[in-house]
Amino acid sequence: MGRARDLFRYSATRLGLAPLMLWLIATLVFLLLRVAPGDPVDAVLGSRAPAAAKAAMRARLGLDQSLFDQYLSYLNGLVHGDLGQALINQEPVSKIIGNTLPASLELSVIALIAAAIVGLSIGFSGIARPEGSIDFSGRLYGLGTYALPPFWVAMLIQLVFAVSLGWFPVGGRFPPSLLPPEGSGFFLWDSLVSGNWPAFAGSIRHLVLPAATLALLLSGTFTTALRLNLRRTLRGDYVEAARSRGLSERQVILHHALPNALLPVLTIAGITVASLIGGALLIEVTFSWPGIALRLQEAINQRDYPVVQGIVVVIAALVVLVSVAVDLLVAALDPRVRY
Amino acid sequence: MAAFTQVGCQPSSPSQRITVASAGSISSLDPAQVSTVHSLQLLTAIGDPLYSLNDDGSLLPRLAASKPTISADGRLVTIPLRTDVRFHDGTRFDAEAMAFSLRRFLRIGTLSYVVGDRIKAVEVAAPHTLRLTLNRRSTSLEGLLTSINLTPLSPRAYAKHKDSFLHDNFVGTGPYRLTKFNEKQQRLEPFEQYWGEPPRNNGLDLISLSNSTALFGALRSGEVDVLLSASIDEDQRHALNQQAQRGDLNETVGPAMEIGYVTLLSNTAPLSDQRLRQAIALSLNRDEASERVSYGLRRPLRALIPPSLPGGGVASWPRHNPTQAKTLLRQSGYCQGTQLEVPLTFRSNVPADKLLALTWQAQVQRDLADCMVLKLDGVESTTVYRQLGEGAFKAVILDWLGSYPDPEAYLNPLLSCSDAEGHVCRDGEAAISGSFWSAPGLQKALQQSDSLRGTPRMEVLNAIEKLTVDGAAYIPVWLESPRSWSQRSLNPPEYDRSGFLRLAQLQRVSQKQGDD
Repeated sequence: MGRARDLFRYSATRLGLAPLMLWLIATLVFLLLRVAPGDPVDAVLGSRAPAAAKAAMRARLGLDQSLFDQYLSYLNGLVHGDLGQALINQEPVSKIIGNTLPASLELSVIALIAAAIVGLSIGFSGIARPEGSIDFSGRLYGLGTYALPPFWVAMLIQLVFAVSLGWFPVGGRFPPSLLPPEGSGFFLWDSLVSGNWPAFAGSIRHLVLPAATLALLLSGTFTTALRLNLRRTLRGDYVEAARSRGLSERQVILHHALPNALLPVLTIAGITVASLIGGALLIEVTFSWPGIALRLQEAINQRDYPVVQGIVVVIAALVVLVSVAVDLLVAALDPRVRY
Repeated sequence: MAAFTQVGCQPSSPSQRITVASAGSISSLDPAQVSTVHSLQLLTAIGDPLYSLNDDGSLLPRLAASKPTISADGRLVTIPLRTDVRFHDGTRFDAEAMAFSLRRFLRIGTLSYVVGDRIKAVEVAAPHTLRLTLNRRSTSLEGLLTSINLTPLSPRAYAKHKDSFLHDNFVGTGPYRLTKFNEKQQRLEPFEQYWGEPPRNNGLDLISLSNSTALFGALRSGEVDVLLSASIDEDQRHALNQQAQRGDLNETVGPAMEIGYVTLLSNTAPLSDQRLRQAIALSLNRDEASERVSYGLRRPLRALIPPSLPGGGVASWPRHNPTQAKTLLRQSGYCQGTQLEVPLTFRSNVPADKLLALTWQAQVQRDLADCMVLKLDGVESTTVYRQLGEGAFKAVILDWLGSYPDPEAYLNPLLSCSDAEGHVCRDGEAAISGSFWSAPGLQKALQQSDSLRGTPRMEVLNAIEKLTVDGAAYIPVWLESPRSWSQRSLNPPEYDRSGFLRLAQLQRVSQKQGDD
């Protein structure tokens, strides 16, 4: 009962800090954008637009107000769930995020699953003979994929499998000749649910290269994490105790060492998925994947303040939520964790 | 899985739809706002201009029924309109609709500066006759009437957007209807009630890819049918050009309308010294730069007006001449142990600019090492345009594409000045464009050129260019032609005189043979 109360208090504290973190991030983004050179009105109207038109737009967007008033107005909107409108085309920022976030989430989740399967399999495969050739290869794989420059890998994979071999599309998210499935914005899910098989096949084909690239880059982290944690847990007293009880090595590893070794990996997976939502920019740019990171980059180039602010705040909120969820999950699963 | 992948990876059977790829997103379809080449190219497929240009540069009526009638004083322009045109929403096109669209453009258009102070009133003279009252005689108005920005919009569809932009839809009169729009992909279907020649394909899918390698790869792998050249890196452009020469692809080159140039800040030291600006101009070897940077695909340019326009192609600017440059630098007190240090800014997100800057820097190092040095500085383009009018750059590499095919669209944005004192422009386009340069008589000559025709106009345009050469606040570098590459399964695409690809004429070869 005491542990449950502690866990509740811990959860409440973590969740209570989340708005504070979001406020700090939102404030920082607001200020940094105002400091950056480049005028959003020029970006929209062009530098040659008449001064009157520029002034009118500045007034309409509230950019003629003091910085403090702009900040208050921004925070007020944020609190009420209003992320504003894009300066460039007055599209609601929430709609922009709604259109691009599913693309990034779909890519991230598929890549993460693939990375976990590949990375954990390789990390686990060497455990039978530590320092053996398989273990050494796994270590090399872990280090190698971690060290690879993402843009280089992405371009290489694109050139080989899309341009030279023509096995997969060079970029984009969906075949241009088909109509994207309507629904949640997760094309794989939407086409599956509606039984639209050409759309499903098209979505998979477009997903393979960016997801494989991301998975390759991430899998090394899983390999290294599992390998190190598994070796550490295999040296634990409780593992020795299990062995002394006459359990087979297979039972020792699968039932005693592996679950404990996977707990830190869960934390890594959480942090990875959180950072992936906004951090897959190079992959999205290389494969023209219309995700939230690519949209953020475009908005920065256009000095589209509301879009940049909205995307950054949403990404930050997701990162905070995922990391809190992972913390709580680990705390619930691992009785050794103290609050 | 392998079978699935193989099936998925087969080139699809030749569809009668055609996929056209280019770089960059389309954030707005409103003709009152769009300004990027990519967006304007799309507008040419879903909208129609009043006129287009014939090969000889004369006006070819499109939505207009015949050439405009201009009153003796040049201030009244009457445009008869076609009577058989419908908008995509089924409503009829007439003078009211055209007037609605023009007034809307003048009221809210971000490019209304293009029209400037020329149009005083837009009136409906008859159901299918439009009348423009001008503030002054304007020869360039004819070129302006070919602008796709002035394409008519359905008054019914835009009733709620009379005074605001409509970004994600378009209801015009063009050969295609827009059936799906997002920033990265647009789907166009042939418009069954189109007044002119119907499209030769069954529809277009326009897609945007985010980088040059993806665009290049998509064409190479056969994933797209047509690739538009904007934003393709020079190496890849060259590779596609080579492929086309080998017969593996079709390559089409449009009229060269975009000029690459350098702006020199003329109102502050040291470049307020005209001789130094002239020396800098003489230090650039355009032929070598063109060859090194673009494999000769960008043609060296020594004029501000593109050759395809009246008064264009007169090579007024001097050729590369380091000896003369050295003489000028010596006269200004350099070369005797003192180097002129010129900060040269290039747009860091434009690869050709960076290559040009590096090449020029090496040329100066080779030819004028003891007199002059170029210090390079890459700045992201949004920042460059923001700070240009503040006089932030001593020398900066830029480009310009006129909004309509007339010399006015090139000279005015660089040279026009509303408040000049001697050779310094305090306010006006010359200040916005970062040179702050003017010359006595220049503004008058600019206005005069727009009121003349034929040979007298050519003479004034030549005089303007001569003044600009002497002032040396701008250094034309090269001329860029729009290019497109297409699969051999398509007939070679064609460009119109305004530099836009005729998308409605794209046609698969097999389809063409079948039709025959």
